Amino acid sequence: MNTRSLSFRLVTWYAGVLTLVFVVLGSLTLIFLRHYLESAVLDTQARRARQIADTLIASVDRTGEQAITREVDELYSPAVNDRFIRITTDTGRVLYLSGAPRDGSFVPSDIPTAGMASFDRQGVFERKERMPSGSVLIGVVASRRYRVEVGVSTQPTDETLSQVLLLLAVGLPMGVLIAVSGGFVLVRRALKPVNRIAHKAEDISQHKLSERLPVVHSGDELERLSISLNNMIARLEDAVQSSKRFVADASHELRTPLTVLRGELESLAQDAQLKVNTRESLGSLLEEVDRLSEIVESLLALSRLDAGEASAERVRFDLGGLVTTTAEQMSLLAEDKNIRVECDAARNVIVEGDRSRMKQVVVNLLDNAIKYTPNGGNVLLRIAREGDNAVLEVVDNGVGIPADALPHMFKRFFRVDDSRSREQGGAGLGLSIVKSICAAQGAEVDVTSRPGGGSCFRVRQPLARGV
Amino acid sequence: MLRVGDLEVDRLSQHVKRAGRKIELTPKEYALLEYLAANPGRVFSRTMIIEHVWDQSFEGLTNIVDVYVRHLRSKVDDPFPTKLIRTVRGVGYGLGESTDA
Repeated sequence: MNTRSLSFRLVTWYAGVLTLVFVVLGSLTLIFLRHYLESAVLDTQARRARQIADTLIASVDRTGEQAITREVDELYSPAVNDRFIRITTDTGRVLYLSGAPRDGSFVPSDIPTAGMASFDRQGVFERKERMPSGSVLIGVVASRRYRVEVGVSTQPTDETLSQVLLLLAVGLPMGVLIAVSGGFVLVRRALKPVNRIAHKAEDISQHKLSERLPVVHSGDELERLSISLNNMIARLEDAVQSSKRFVADASHELRTPLTVLRGELESLAQDAQLKVNTRESLGSLLEEVDRLSEIVESLLALSRLDAGEASAERVRFDLGGLVTTTAEQMSLLAEDKNIRVECDAARNVIVEGDRSRMKQVVVNLLDNAIKYTPNGGNVLLRIAREGDNAVLEVVDNGVGIPADALPHMFKRFFRVDDSRSREQGGAGLGLSIVKSICAAQGAEVDVTSRPGGGSCFRVRQPLARGV
Repeated sequence: MLRVGDLEVDRLSQHVKRAGRKIELTPKEYALLEYLAANPGRVFSRTMIIEHVWDQSFEGLTNIVDVYVRHLRSKVDDPFPTKLIRTVRGVGYGLGESTDA
């Protein structure tokens, strides 16, 4: 999963905040619940202690201490109710001590006397205390002569609290999980059109500017996004179209005057009466006219390829055969520079397409390779099958291409080194023609190179089906 | 049989002789020479030569003509005192004297 994607980040933040809120809320609930439960229990104990103190201790003079014991047993039956009751005199003598509770949650005789320090105070006072042992909550009422301690086990309270804690510990992560997965689904659903728009836009920008993004009339931000993207694509298409049309029109318009110019100059140049100087000037004029016509023809060819007028012919042919014969036809070019051209062609690599255009690709690539390989170098033409593709590689051990020029190699009028290329002719259109032909034939071309270590141009074209 | 000066081009057997001496040519060199010899005196542009001897795919690759003409010259002209292959700068190549002259 892409951790930088919008949906991932949204959900992560959402989950984090939710967990924080839940944890804070849970702790607060636990703290308040505990406080509330304990104080409620303590209130009850204190009230009970007061009752005992009021009714029984007040009548101790009349009935005697033994009677108190009996009455407490009868009225409060501490042993049955798991209560703790202790009555002590001011001398520290224990007048009454309840028996052990049935659940054995505390041992009455082990419970330290609560609030001893305050015992010598005059009058009646109340105290609520959680015993340090933690097992008994106690309410104390003390008078001048007696002190009544009433307590109860903390077990029920603790149990309630631990159940709530358990509930929170299980419920909280589950809640977060449910909320997060729900959030994830929601975010995914909300962002799905964005992904679709992105894919489609990529597709359009690469291949067909005439297409548009689907607009969902949902009235939301995405509708606005797709509409504005569509407007942008429309303007882009317009710009590209008009620039293509301009190139096509301009090169077409230039063609006729150039032909006339050329014809006139040629007939002038063949006039034998000319002075040598004039003849030379005419010659160099003609060379420039030639160069111009060549550029114009290349541009015209490119705009025809762009317009899709290219795939007139679709025949099956052997790529290896085509490359071998083309290399033979150009052998003198290589020989002239003492370059060895080697052909390593797998047999029966059959592709389908426009044979003469494919030949143009081979011619341009091989010519380039010979041009930019120094005397005595090597050029290797390799034709092979790779899966469902035919692959043609033109490898040279020439000057190579600087890394920063590589991405521009197939751009129109691009030259690695202006001065170098100009003297060797060419307007920087050869490779863009190669690229355009390949694109029109469903082939791909790319280049790898090391400066000083030669270059490798690679054309990949699907093999003809059923071979 | 085509004759230009002391050059003989036999179109049937594709043999080339100059001053009675046989000259060995590669198929492309022969095609180029035959094209020039068919219209002695006429000057052909590189584009015309390419279209006739090679094919359209080689257009724009004008130095291929120069290279082949140079090789042809070294075989046909260099060993002999009179030069037959003529260069008209900016225009192209021709065989024999200009028809205009």
